[in-house]
Parts: sequence; structure tokens; C-alpha cells
Amino acid sequence: MSHTPSPNTQATIVEKIIDFVDERVGLKLLAAKMLNEPVPGGSRWAYVFGSVLLFIFIMQAITGVLLMFYYVPTADHAYASTQYILHDVDYGWFLLSYHFWGSTAMVVCVFAHMSQVFLWGAYKKPRELIWLVGLALFGIVMGFGFTGYLLPWDQRAYWATTVGVEIMDKTPLLGDFMARFLKGGATPGQMTLSRFFVIHVMVLPAALMGLAGLHLFLFRTAGPAGPFRGTPAELKAKTDYFFPRQIWKDIVGMATVFACICALAFWEPVVLLEEATPDPGDYHPEPEWYFLFLFQLLRLKMFSGEFGQFVGAMALPGAFMALLAALPFIDRDPERNIFKRPVALIGWVVVMAAILIFTISAIINREFLD
Amino acid sequence: MQPKLKSKVRGADQEIGEVTKVIVDPLSHEISDLVVSVSGTEDRQVPMCAVESVTDGLVQLRMSKADFLEFAPFKREDYVTTHEVEIPHLEDHLQVTPGEVLVPFPELERNVKRRTFFTNLTHVIGLFIGLPLAYPVLKYLMKPMYAPFDNGWLKIGNVGKIKADDAGTQFKYKRKVKEAYLPEAEIEKNVWVLKATPAVLEKVYQGKDMEFRDALGKTIWTNKKDVPYVAFSGKCPHLGCGFKWRQHKVLGQVFLCPCHLSIYDAAGKVLDGPAPRPLDPLPIQVSASGEVQIIDMEFKAGTKSQTRIV
Repeated sequence: MSHTPSPNTQATIVEKIIDFVDERVGLKLLAAKMLNEPVPGGSRWAYVFGSVLLFIFIMQAITGVLLMFYYVPTADHAYASTQYILHDVDYGWFLLSYHFWGSTAMVVCVFAHMSQVFLWGAYKKPRELIWLVGLALFGIVMGFGFTGYLLPWDQRAYWATTVGVEIMDKTPLLGDFMARFLKGGATPGQMTLSRFFVIHVMVLPAALMGLAGLHLFLFRTAGPAGPFRGTPAELKAKTDYFFPRQIWKDIVGMATVFACICALAFWEPVVLLEEATPDPGDYHPEPEWYFLFLFQLLRLKMFSGEFGQFVGAMALPGAFMALLAALPFIDRDPERNIFKRPVALIGWVVVMAAILIFTISAIINREFLD
Repeated sequence: MQPKLKSKVRGADQEIGEVTKVIVDPLSHEISDLVVSVSGTEDRQVPMCAVESVTDGLVQLRMSKADFLEFAPFKREDYVTTHEVEIPHLEDHLQVTPGEVLVPFPELERNVKRRTFFTNLTHVIGLFIGLPLAYPVLKYLMKPMYAPFDNGWLKIGNVGKIKADDAGTQFKYKRKVKEAYLPEAEIEKNVWVLKATPAVLEKVYQGKDMEFRDALGKTIWTNKKDVPYVAFSGKCPHLGCGFKWRQHKVLGQVFLCPCHLSIYDAAGKVLDGPAPRPLDPLPIQVSASGEVQIIDMEFKAGTKSQTRIV
């Protein structure tokens, strides 16, 4: 940490200001510590998802704040103010559509990030806590999707919330309380909108920032896991710092995601349905695509009746999340190579295939409803 | 030149030992003392004023070894390492790492008794601040959660609208709701009304009048088993979507919910799909002129038994 400019060149005013700040804050040291993180085995495209997620979140925060300049979270104005953003405010359609597709990108990248960590065996000792905090972050991202969905107050919003909260109601013991707590009453209304709004714009962002900070801190404490193949000597030979090669890959990843979201916002901008009422009319309620597989699951005969529904809507997803949380403590084998972990590989393929099949069958089912 | 760790320490007459620790003044950031290990006895703490000169790898003291041994033995518990205390820039000018750089444990801190007690007391006071807030905050958030039921009759239309027996006809109506301090608002709701033939009526009522009770168990209305008009709540008992009267390829005319594909017959019985119970009949009365009135009720979805929530 040196603050003195080299003697043979005169420091410019900018350099002097930077040195002034650095002397008091230690920015250069901080930047060096952030950027000079050794990446065992070298940079890879597979590692970009964490950084990309951070980028998507920042963009969601920015577009979200911008949307709040016009959006009014009341049952009689939410719909009209959203329509106003879409049709009257300059570039309102773009910002709202970016926010919408950004949330989709977030879910896709969360899946990719979790899959990468799972397949690379990077959740194993000493990185168990990073994995656990990551699961909590996954829950928060899902919570963002669920609460954000209601805010436009159109038919899609209303029915996704109605069904979602009814599912929550099936939680043993606490279900009724939780459902009423979220709805702010027995049925969805103004109190529901207020609560979802506060949760979406205050509670979840604060929780996400805190937990993402913890996630990064734990990650930096444990260090990157690196590839699952290669001797220590080989890894050491290929190791480089986070900057510049990994940063380069990350920024390309971010730019790609940004371009995709912009393209989707441009070609598939958000279109609202009718304003929310407790009568769906001709609308066939359906959740956002990343919840479609759960939705389709609940149509199955085996999940019919009170008990079946509990199994399908609560026990099965709950058990799956519990299994993911317990994973680093059950799977204590230090082997990280996915090709030497047949159960993990088959499990991942089965889960992905099941999600894909149920999602596709939900889409096919649409045709039979009209 | 600064003393280095592992430097040899020599007295005026002979070799004494080596530097094992360095003690730094937390205010001036200067080295104030050295800790010197001596074979065969305890480590001694030597103030820097006793050092005559420092050269590379060697610390020369002013006194003889005998005088040196007069120094007090080093008390490790009076010091903390720089890892345990936050003093900015302490090590900027030191070149003694790696090794233990120590700063004195402050005098005031040293004689604190009952340290654990104070730690626990801090937590207890924190709890005293937090706990009294928990209940008011919870009550604050729970305010709108439970509202009394409204058992008033609502006019929803005329039976003249019904074109065929045993066929669902949707009646839309507006219901006034008052939430919190907000002005009264109207929401659109709907029920399905059926003019049932005796066979279907038998399936709905199973030969018994249907009683509706309030929260205290008092009967508010009885649907007579021989009145042909039946009203079903518009909320699907599976997960609360809105169902419709539709033509099904195999089952004919049915109530079908587009969400999770629950199918009910005209009497509301589950024919197919995941629904846990039949459709919910509501209190209904039809005047001589055919005006239909109902009591607006909603029941919890997804349960085998009916639990009224509105």
C-alpha cells in the first residue's frame, strides 16, 4: 500500500484525489483483495453464474426503483398505474418488461448456478454453509417471483396469488395463520396487495442483500472449489487470479444476459390481462412458467384429496428442499468428480427431466382447456 | 533498524537468547518492548530503552545477563495479539511479521471481574428491549387477519335467467367490502345456481335439510331439501380458482375448474380430478317473483371438511 507517486512523474490532480481517498479508506488494498483472488485451476465459463446473478439483482433493484415512481400499490390504482407505465410513460413498457424478464433470467441463472455447484461437488466440506445460505437465497428469489406477480393486479396476478396462498394454507399447524397473515384477511384484497408490496420492495431486498453478502463472505473465506479433476500440481500450474480472466468471462456473461433480457423485453413486452376480480371469466389461471411443473403436479390423480394435496403441495417440495439442505451433511464422501458420483448424477438428471416433463405437459394441457 | 523475530539477543557479557515476541505501543505504533526467550528460565520482557543497538539478526543489550534476569518474567495474559484487537495501521511500519506482534491489554480491562456475567447481562438487556416489542408488532400485523362473518342476504338476480334444469347458470353479483380505513369498495363475485330435478336434489341433500350455523352454532338458515334451487359458491374447493359449467367430451355437462382440472357433476359431486370435497352449497332463498337471494360464504379450499372463512 503505497501512497507516494513515483518521483520522476508529476502526480495529476486525479491521482492526488485518489491517493487522498486511498490514504484514508484503503481502497487500493480493498480492490486488490477483491480482484486478486486465486482461482484454482484457472478461470472457467462455468463459474460465471454467481456474478451474473449479482448483476441481474442490481438491474432488478434499479428497474424496480424506477417502476415505483409511477406504480401505486392500492387495489383501485395498481392496475391502472401499471397500465399507465406500460402505455403512457416513455420507455415504461421497456423498464417493466425488463423487470419481468429479469426475474425470469434470475430463476434460470439460479437453476444454472445451483446445478453447477451440485455437479462440481462444490457444496462439500468446507463449503456446507455457502450451500445452505445459497438455498436460503433460492427461497428468497422464489419469494420475489411470488410477491412481484401480484403487484400488477390483473387476473393472472390475482389467481396465481389465490392458489399460491391456498397452498401455503396447507402447511401443518401454522398454515391457516400464515395464509391469513399474508393475505391480511380471509380473501385477497387491499391488505394482500399492501403486504406483498412491502415484502417485495423492502423485506426481500434487505434479506437478499444481507444473505448475498454472507454468501460471498463465506465463499471468500473458504475459497473457490476449483475443478473436480487434476492433481494439485496441475491445478497450481493453471491457477490465475479472479482478475482479469474470470472477470472477463463474467462480464461477457453479464452482457449476454443483458442482451437476452433486452431482446425479450423488446419482442415480448409485458401485456396485462383484465383487472383482477374474484371471477376469472374466460381466463384459465396459470402460474409463472417456473412454477408450472408444481402446478401440473397438483393436477395428478395421485395428489387428489386432502392428504394427496398435502403430499403434492407440501410434503414433496418440503422433503426435496430438506434433502438439498442436508446434502452436504449426508454426502460426506470427498469425491467431487460428478462422473464418480453416480447417485448424484442420476438424481440431477431425474429432477431436471421431471421438471421438464411436467412443464411441457402443463403447456400441452393448455390446448385442451379452450 | 527494527528488531526482528528470531534475532539473537546478546548482553554486555554473553549470549542471552532470542526475540520471540514484539510488543507495540497502541498509540505511537512504536515497538516498546521485546520478549526474549532464555534457555532454562521464563521469557523476559525487555523495554526498548535497554537495547543498545539493533543490527541484522542481532539485538545488543546494555546490561549483563545477570542484570537481564532482573527483568520481570513476561506475562502473556496481559497482552493481546493484533489479530484480537482492531488498531488501524498498527502494522504499517512494522517488519516483524510473521510472528506474534502484541499490544498491551488495557489496564482497565485487565481487572474486570465477572466478564461472563457482563456478557450475559448485555444479552439480557437486549432481550428486554426486543421482547416487549414482539407482541405489539405481532398484534399490529395481525389486525386485519380475522373478521366476523357477514350473514346478510344478497340479491343476485332472477331465476328467469335459468334456461334448463340441472344446468349450471352463473349469477354475478357485487359485494361491498370494507378494508381497514379504506372507503367501502365493491368486488365482483359469482355463484352457480341450479334448478335441480329431484334426482340431483337428492344427491345434493341426501334426503336431509341443510343447516347453516354461525360461529356460535346458532342456525342462521336451513336449505329445505325439496326446494329445487341450489347455489354453489363460485370458489373451487380444490385450491380456490373459479370453475365453469362446460361440456366435457366423456362426462357430458359438468362443472370444470381450469386450474387443476377438478370435475364435478351438476350436484357438485367430484367426478374426476384432485378436489377433496364436493362443491359448497350456499344458503339460498327464492321469492315468489323468482328473485334469488344468497348469503355470501366462502370456505377454505383443499380440505375434506368445510371450514368457513368469509
